[in-house]
Amino acid sequence: MKPTETFYEVMRRQGVTRRSFLKFCSLTATALGLGPSYMSEIAHAMETKPRTPVIWLHGLECTCCSESFIRSAHPLVKDVVLSMISLDYDDTLMASAGHQAEAALQDTIERYKGNYILAVEGNPPLNEDGMFCIIGGKPFVDQLRHAAENAKAVISWGSCASHGCVQAARPNPTQATPVHKVITDKPIIKVPGCPPIAEVMTGVITYMLTFDRLPELDRTGRPKMFYSQRIHDKCYRRPHFDAGQFVESFDDEGARRGYCLYKVGCKGPTTYNACSTVRWNEGTSFPIQAGHGCIGCSEDGFWDKGSWYARLQNIQQFGIEANADKIGATVAAGVGGAVAVHAAISALKRAQIKRQSVAENEENV
Amino acid sequence: MTEDTRRIIAGPFNRVEGDLEIRLDIAGGEVRSAYVNSPLFRGFEQILEGKDPRDALTIVPRICGICSISQSVAASRALAAAQGILPPPNGERAAAIVHAAENIADHLTHFHIFFMADFARAVYANEPWHSEVVEKFKAKGGTLVGEALNARSEFLHIMGILAGKWPHTLSLQPGGVTKAPDQRDRIRLLAIIRQFRAWAETSIFADTLEHVLEIDSVDALRAWHARDAGRGSLRLFLTISDALGLDRMGPGPGRFMSYGAYPVDGAPLFPAGVWENGVIAPLDTSLIVEDLASSWMLGQPAHPFEGRTWPDEAMADGYSWCKAPRLGGETAEVGAFARMLISGHPLAAQLLHAGAANVRARVVGRLFEIAATVVAMERWVSEIIPGETFIARGRMPESARATGLIEAARGSLGHWLVIEQGRIASYQIIAPTTWNFSPRDALGTPGPVEQALRGARVLPGETTPVSVQHIVRSFDPCMVCTVH
Repeated sequence: MKPTETFYEVMRRQGVTRRSFLKFCSLTATALGLGPSYMSEIAHAMETKPRTPVIWLHGLECTCCSESFIRSAHPLVKDVVLSMISLDYDDTLMASAGHQAEAALQDTIERYKGNYILAVEGNPPLNEDGMFCIIGGKPFVDQLRHAAENAKAVISWGSCASHGCVQAARPNPTQATPVHKVITDKPIIKVPGCPPIAEVMTGVITYMLTFDRLPELDRTGRPKMFYSQRIHDKCYRRPHFDAGQFVESFDDEGARRGYCLYKVGCKGPTTYNACSTVRWNEGTSFPIQAGHGCIGCSEDGFWDKGSWYARLQNIQQFGIEANADKIGATVAAGVGGAVAVHAAISALKRAQIKRQSVAENEENV
Repeated sequence: MTEDTRRIIAGPFNRVEGDLEIRLDIAGGEVRSAYVNSPLFRGFEQILEGKDPRDALTIVPRICGICSISQSVAASRALAAAQGILPPPNGERAAAIVHAAENIADHLTHFHIFFMADFARAVYANEPWHSEVVEKFKAKGGTLVGEALNARSEFLHIMGILAGKWPHTLSLQPGGVTKAPDQRDRIRLLAIIRQFRAWAETSIFADTLEHVLEIDSVDALRAWHARDAGRGSLRLFLTISDALGLDRMGPGPGRFMSYGAYPVDGAPLFPAGVWENGVIAPLDTSLIVEDLASSWMLGQPAHPFEGRTWPDEAMADGYSWCKAPRLGGETAEVGAFARMLISGHPLAAQLLHAGAANVRARVVGRLFEIAATVVAMERWVSEIIPGETFIARGRMPESARATGLIEAARGSLGHWLVIEQGRIASYQIIAPTTWNFSPRDALGTPGPVEQALRGARVLPGETTPVSVQHIVRSFDPCMVCTVH
């Protein structure tokens, strides 16, 4: 494969038709909240830009991020994204084995020096010189440093890479450490969640590959397009919260009626993620819809904040929360009515509406 | 060392869940001895100690993103036993459905993505079936790879409906499930399963599930294969198996164990037991001991209620983070084929060669299990009664000793929980791959895979012997579960 191949050429080679390609471009534009006019810009970028290679490494992890990624919602998006990034090195999916695979990794690093994106699933354990995660006879932390050295940017997939996740829970036996504490000289984009939602993963990577730049990040390094609202803001059980109707235990009448899960420990009011809008398993549902509170898996430290079944203490009950993130609050106020109507609002629409609201807010200021 | 006598490290293995390395001593063109190393350790058992017992429901599934539901089911079973409660009939069925969905999804991934791709290797370029395998199963590019991923995604909508999200659901609770499906959900579940059945009956079996399950002997299997050799992935596999002698490759220990899978109304779909020399005996889990002779772990061999998991940071005296579980001092092979054998399916015993399982038996066992499980799922869905309770309430005791023994896709998964003063005092986990990929014990007895690799053919100059790939993958290792 010659390095100058464009995304479009790669897709054509993989059997993606022109029609599907254009459909993909328009879907991408809406998914990223850019509006249909961006479609031609995306198409142009993909026809002219050389393909950006992606190296996908696995450290201390459980593979749930890969598992989520391969089930992205739109079959077209999935096919195209997979052929687009073509995972130059990924040890879960690739064909070769053992030494050949190690050689393939080294080859990709050298061939695309300074031009590839490093996607990391899992994190390095630092205790005992990293010996709790040994890959190819060497600690994973060495492989990570080596691969990051010549990367253009790093994606931290999931809560392990972004924050540490449950393997870093007290007493953190292996000293599992998030990627940004080890790699400090590269742009890092965090995509937390255990795992992250498939459409969020494909959305982030598509944006980076298409525009060759990082999406806009919040102050903790998460892409704003997916992490600027709380689960609570768009939760379909929110009216029950506002009406003071709560589930007291999983077998009570309130549970059967689908009341708010706040009293059985729901962390939706303090968790920034897209679960209540994008939903899971191809938009089918999300934990609250299946009767269990949110555990806040995309928030830093969610594993050591006390019981998942204890109710949150620091939120106010009615109206707009005083301690809410300022932008989050104004956005929620701006689109609140629309949300109630579109209970099953899609990721695409959500991002679009939010973006428009932000723009409106900015104009008003 | 000469070319004839050498030592190689096979690994890191790709297309397995997690990290795996195997050291092979080779002489006379075959593997003389194998040493399996699980090089990833996270310390979940230490993390669980001192926590609220209910927190296990969130922590434990994160051992593995592939067998996440299995871990949740085992934890919820252990907590239910501690509380002395049983889920209501609806709850049992809902839990069985999500658990079965994950197990089937794992079998699909194994066959289509991890296992078959090795037959597309150049070493088989002269075989008459090679071009078909390349077209269908080549890693990342094969037509059936994409097709199976899609079928799997759509099948996993079941998780959306019943479990809220997957991987890592929260809906499975000790007393049942938090999601009470209504009539509409029931119909959607049935539609998803039927759609999956239609795909499996076309792509994998090229026959109805019921016909496949009626195949009761190797002769009947041969006749079924010969009748329509060009259609369906199972028949393609049988063609390859005949050509390469997979029915003799990778003999395991000849002792099989199952904890029993999917208990509904007091009877599991696949029963518990131990199979040895043609005899199925009841399972006595008090005979389980974890040996540490070859593990980088501190302590003495012990039953999981007594044992602990303390890593030896000096990494002295051993070659793996994996402990060596033994049943009455002996190794046992676990997995779909063990379940098939112990459930008494007449074909299973005939798939053995010289009393041991082999690559063909393990793969056929998995595909047959897909068929049997889909049929059972349809039944469970139809037996759900919307409006009736799905969860029973329990009270967490101040102290308890309880087990959660279940069957994951890859075999027997056990959680041993000790609660003292309302907190977790000890939580020990033995995963299926811990059984299959265990290192040598104090007597020097190799684990099932180490044994299965003995005698594997190695071609001159091969650095990642293809026979080793087939044998290792026939067990479908899940290394992230193994050590946790």
